[in-house]
Amino acid sequence: MSDVIKPQLVLAVPSKGRLQENASAFFARAGLQFVQGRGARDYRGKIAGLDGVEVAFVSTSEIVTHLAAGTAHLGVTGEDLVRESIADADAKCELLAPLGFGHANVIVAVPQAWIDVRTMADLEDVAVAFRARRGERMRVATKYVNLTRRFFAESHVTDYRIVESLGATEGAPAAGTAELIVDITTTGGTLAANALKILDDGVILRSEANFVASLTAPWTVETREAARIILSRIAAEEVARTTREVSARIAQVDLELFAHAEVLFAARPRRHLADGWLTLTCPKDKVPALADWLLTQGAAEVTVAQLDYVFAEKNKLYEKLVARLP
Amino acid sequence: MSVSADPTSTTAKRAASAALIAHLEASGYPRHEPPILQKANLFFNSGEDIRSRLYLTSDLSGAEYCLRPEYTIPVCAHYLASEAAGFAATYSYCGPVFRFRTDGPSEFLQAGLENFGHPDREAADAEILGVTLDAVAALGQSDVDVRFGDNGLIRDLVAALNLSPQWQRRILRGHAQDKSLDAILAQPVNGKGSDHTGVLAALEGVDKQGARALVEDLLSIAGISSVGGRSVAEIADRFLEQAALKAGEDFPTEHHAVLKEFLDIETDPDQASGRLRQLAATTGLDLGAALDRFDARLGFMAARGLDVADFTFSTRFARDLEYYTGFVFEAFDRARPQEEPIVGGGRYDGLLKALGGEGDIGAVGAAIWIERLQLPQRGQMDWWR
Repeated sequence: MSDVIKPQLVLAVPSKGRLQENASAFFARAGLQFVQGRGARDYRGKIAGLDGVEVAFVSTSEIVTHLAAGTAHLGVTGEDLVRESIADADAKCELLAPLGFGHANVIVAVPQAWIDVRTMADLEDVAVAFRARRGERMRVATKYVNLTRRFFAESHVTDYRIVESLGATEGAPAAGTAELIVDITTTGGTLAANALKILDDGVILRSEANFVASLTAPWTVETREAARIILSRIAAEEVARTTREVSARIAQVDLELFAHAEVLFAARPRRHLADGWLTLTCPKDKVPALADWLLTQGAAEVTVAQLDYVFAEKNKLYEKLVARLP
Repeated sequence: MSVSADPTSTTAKRAASAALIAHLEASGYPRHEPPILQKANLFFNSGEDIRSRLYLTSDLSGAEYCLRPEYTIPVCAHYLASEAAGFAATYSYCGPVFRFRTDGPSEFLQAGLENFGHPDREAADAEILGVTLDAVAALGQSDVDVRFGDNGLIRDLVAALNLSPQWQRRILRGHAQDKSLDAILAQPVNGKGSDHTGVLAALEGVDKQGARALVEDLLSIAGISSVGGRSVAEIADRFLEQAALKAGEDFPTEHHAVLKEFLDIETDPDQASGRLRQLAATTGLDLGAALDRFDARLGFMAARGLDVADFTFSTRFARDLEYYTGFVFEAFDRARPQEEPIVGGGRYDGLLKALGGEGDIGAVGAAIWIERLQLPQRGQMDWWR
């Protein structure tokens, strides 16, 4: 008896921490339930009811490595790590969709005491003066070496030197090991506690968790099909989450009403019955305005319902992926 | 690009290297070939651009090494560690250098020469240019377009204009980055909303030292001492300067006109010299010393037999490398004017001191990019046999 091993799609998801919880919840909402191996310590799993997919539970930084090397097809990781760790990120990966969690900004922060420094242009000037006075370059503590180099070059700041920091970066200026930092922040609380301030134009990247596809992974017929199924469920959930179904009964319905509803509220007709019942779908945030408007058009009552999934023939996420594959 | 891996080209490159070395040594530039494996920290203070291109490795003790990314720093280090340190010395070199590049091979050939501690800097400038041009001419590359500049001129000009330190820094940096005058002057002084006119009004009539003392006191009341490597006095000084710029002290119109006239000069060197002297005379700015050095350098060039009238001098010419402090030049193949320069160099008087040298030791050098030369194929010439 010989089992033919079919090529599997590898989906890399965070193995621990907040990102893991958020990612699991995200996939669960899309009806993709992870089934972990024999025990909690098994780092390989499956998706319930979906063959041909292997779930790899790894650290977020490893996820980026796998995506760049093509040893994972899809993965959940922060955009900051993608941009920092992959030299030519846009050529190797496709950011399919931001996931709405794991928000964090990569920023440039200087001591609050530097009352004369508010912008990168100030920093450029101070860096030149610093070096002219001391013969040494201003030190920047960071673990985002590549993001820093790119951003500083764009801002024409060249008189600096990176000091790699693998933890507690925000303490470096007080400790005297660097003059300023490039670090990640969510609320800015840690920065303030360390008497640091973000420069006005010092946000390098507004990052959040992303669903990322590797362009270098082996995209066979089988792995593409598995990706299509996963992405169509995610898209179906996303569309359902961001839209609502709005129903009303209006005696006199003409085509113009639908045209107006589309222009004004981006609403699309789903059903229209002869007795005047009509159903529209529209973006969640436009629902109250649409309801008001329908009332002025003669509806006695407007009901709004939430949908679980909206599967569509066209799958934007999958199309986005396929467009990038050879 | 004329880079290819075919054997003819490899042979031609090897032959060109040998010919260059022979020529440079015969011109009074003995060869010094630093090891390919270098201590990485030697290059860590050369800016993040070079650092990001290093090929790094480490030994069992964890000490970091890199493949030599360029020659000048290792040659400087060798000079400073030698008996010759502080005295006049010359070096040449030729071999592979390794820098990460996305637009070409990361290993490429470079030849070059350095001249340290020469008692007459202008003579050394002319010598470096002359020997470099002779060396490429010996390889059949004699029809070249030479362009040069002088960072020292604009430095003396902004100093003579008596501009604030911040304006001086901004103009010099903008010049090094080849920005237009308007772009340099239009740069925002500061970000949104930080208007310090209140502070300035309060300090009106107070002398500079008093103002500085007040700001320093305020900072110390706020519990701010020297944080982040800059002293409170430094911060106070720049804050006051910044606030003054913000308060509407626009760049003086007459200075704008002078700078514009200066930066418009791009012509043959003798004409340029005349226009610079005229500019100095009409504005009353003291540029005499800088212009005397300029003319002396032209004299040394002519004395070497260089066709100075055929060169182009431009006040805007700057090589985008921060360490050049004076004379800078590049030469282009006239047959391929759109390509990158085949040689380039200049004066970098600050580097030896930054690397631990004692006193002010002058340094000028040039690099020759062998792979950018149009090398003759076997049979066309027989200079390597």
